[in-house]
Amino acid sequence: MTINKESGMAASILSAALMLPGVQAHAEAPPTNGVISVGYLDYRDSQSGLDRIKVHAPSVSIMAPVAGVWSVSGSLVKDDVSGASPRYHTAVSGASHMDDDRKAGDVALTRYLDRGSVTVGAAYSTEHDYVSRALSLQGSYESEDRNRTWTAGIGHSDDKIDPVNQIVTNERKRTTNFLLGVTQVLTANDVAQLTLGYDNGSGYFSDPYKAFDNRPRTRYETTLLARWNHHVAATDGTTRLTYRYYRDSFGVRGHTLGAEYVQPLSDGWTLTPEVRLYTQSAASFYYDPVYDSKLGAPFPPGYNGTGYMSADQRLSGFGAVTLGLKASKQIDKLWSVDAKVSAYQQRGSWRLFHQGSPGLDALRAQTIQIAVNRQW
Amino acid sequence: MVDAIHRILFDAMGSRCEIRLAAPDGDSAQQLMHRAVDEVRRIEHKYSRYRADSVVSRINAAAGSKAVAVDSETADLFGYAAALYGASGGLFDITSGVLRKAWDFRQPRVPPAAVLEPLLALVGWHNVECGVFEVYLRKAGMEIDFGGFGKEYAADRAATLLAQAGVRHGYVNLGGDMRFIGPRMDGRPWAIGIQDPREPDGVLATINVSEGALATSGDYERFFELDGQRYCHILDPRDGMPVRYWRSVSVLAPVAVAAGSCSTITMLKQRDGLDFLNASDMAYLAVNGEGQMLYRDLI
Repeated sequence: MTINKESGMAASILSAALMLPGVQAHAEAPPTNGVISVGYLDYRDSQSGLDRIKVHAPSVSIMAPVAGVWSVSGSLVKDDVSGASPRYHTAVSGASHMDDDRKAGDVALTRYLDRGSVTVGAAYSTEHDYVSRALSLQGSYESEDRNRTWTAGIGHSDDKIDPVNQIVTNERKRTTNFLLGVTQVLTANDVAQLTLGYDNGSGYFSDPYKAFDNRPRTRYETTLLARWNHHVAATDGTTRLTYRYYRDSFGVRGHTLGAEYVQPLSDGWTLTPEVRLYTQSAASFYYDPVYDSKLGAPFPPGYNGTGYMSADQRLSGFGAVTLGLKASKQIDKLWSVDAKVSAYQQRGSWRLFHQGSPGLDALRAQTIQIAVNRQW
Repeated sequence: MVDAIHRILFDAMGSRCEIRLAAPDGDSAQQLMHRAVDEVRRIEHKYSRYRADSVVSRINAAAGSKAVAVDSETADLFGYAAALYGASGGLFDITSGVLRKAWDFRQPRVPPAAVLEPLLALVGWHNVECGVFEVYLRKAGMEIDFGGFGKEYAADRAATLLAQAGVRHGYVNLGGDMRFIGPRMDGRPWAIGIQDPREPDGVLATINVSEGALATSGDYERFFELDGQRYCHILDPRDGMPVRYWRSVSVLAPVAVAAGSCSTITMLKQRDGLDFLNASDMAYLAVNGEGQMLYRDLI
């Protein structure tokens, strides 16, 4: 056989291969590939007979690759908050109305390296009585076989609190946090992750809008998070299980158990049901909404004007259940939409391990999130 | 919000498979990867000769009795098989799978002529009638299969689907038949090891690839040795005997189907395979029976 004839043969194989349906040599690639996402969140919570807080939050987020090895991302969210603060525990008994405007933005810059990445991030959030600024640095490093990834991070936030009731002025809260994590591919279908977090905060932790709220000026928090993702070959779905342990120097101990199942369906649809169970013990200085027998409401039992105390229900002992369902659809190669509804309910009587606050009214919340994403 | 490389491992088409791709978050990565895996499984189900309800099994079951209606995708695959038969001088023949009945690679035994001859009579692309809408195997007992390029076709389809969904970085690897969507996120190529044909855990060379496809055929996947001679699973359709000359042939081509077909044809052409490789426009790395490495355009 001559060389020319052979050459024609290899070429004929390639041209025959390119005639096969769905086989392309090169996809038509736009020169850059970013994502813009427009979302809307509707949150409302309630206690029996009372609609409390409603939040409407449109958001825009954007991601753009820069020069191959860098990428920049950022987001903007503007919340409208309106509603009544939790009953029983506000300085003004009954449903005091609050109206607030939160503007928040963050930006992150990532540099991709040979076997890892470094991300520097900054975030800014402001309400009319609260300004928060944060900086973070995070790095990841992959093992040679790429089955193990180490992650380490450090962050610092500086918050400024200037409540309108001027119970305090120009208060600060500074928090430094550290994070250490490892992600390990266990089998073809299993990935596990362990993350340890430590937060060291000092400053004003009290709630200026709650009566007799006096909390320690330091707070140490430790979090242990374990995740396990498993691909179910039979259904082609993925289960995601998480367990989170939390403890802090206020005496709060929390356990969270979460489960999600991601099921891809035909035509670009994906359905993700999720359930989350949470239980926590009360802070050591939390008091139930019962009042001193002599002084009466709103004075806590044994009130003598000193000592740490708070009746914030977030520091009470309670249990909570979240049920959610997310549906997403890839419409075409550029557009996708997703929607998520979730319902949350919190009850003192659902606590599992510690003393709770059985007298507290149940808190319910519903969240609806919709987002439209487009690649560009 | 920042893209990162995500990875999924799965078993399909009798092989360990892997997809890596860059996506903005885990959810969209999962969604993309599952669409690609779905496409691989669709092709596996449709064309597996191990599934009684596959198109291939239905065509084989009707051999010698009637034509079987096929859809346009199947007809296109038969069209590609015809092109391969012509380009390989009759060596790449999708009817030669029936010869496997004579070879059990778990036992070192060369089948006698009495076993091979009736099977060789069933091999022959000229006995396949394929039209636009139907396929007919003229002889009862004849079998066709797309095992020679099915994995590569699935890799190309999955990668094309991902590229159309906006993926710019990543690859699809179906048991060593790889189709690349684009380089790593920092623009550098992927470093792909080429299996040493004589050392199961060894790597012969590392090739840098950003786009296109890489496929390898070798004499080490299924084989037995008898009296110092290696008998591998790639069978010459003319005499039903395993090919010798090459230990392994890796080919880089714009698409995986072409890369896989060219590496297999090189194995089948044995000594003449080198002329075939040199005449093609493709980069290659081949190891001959003496362990000598021959390559072009790799670095």
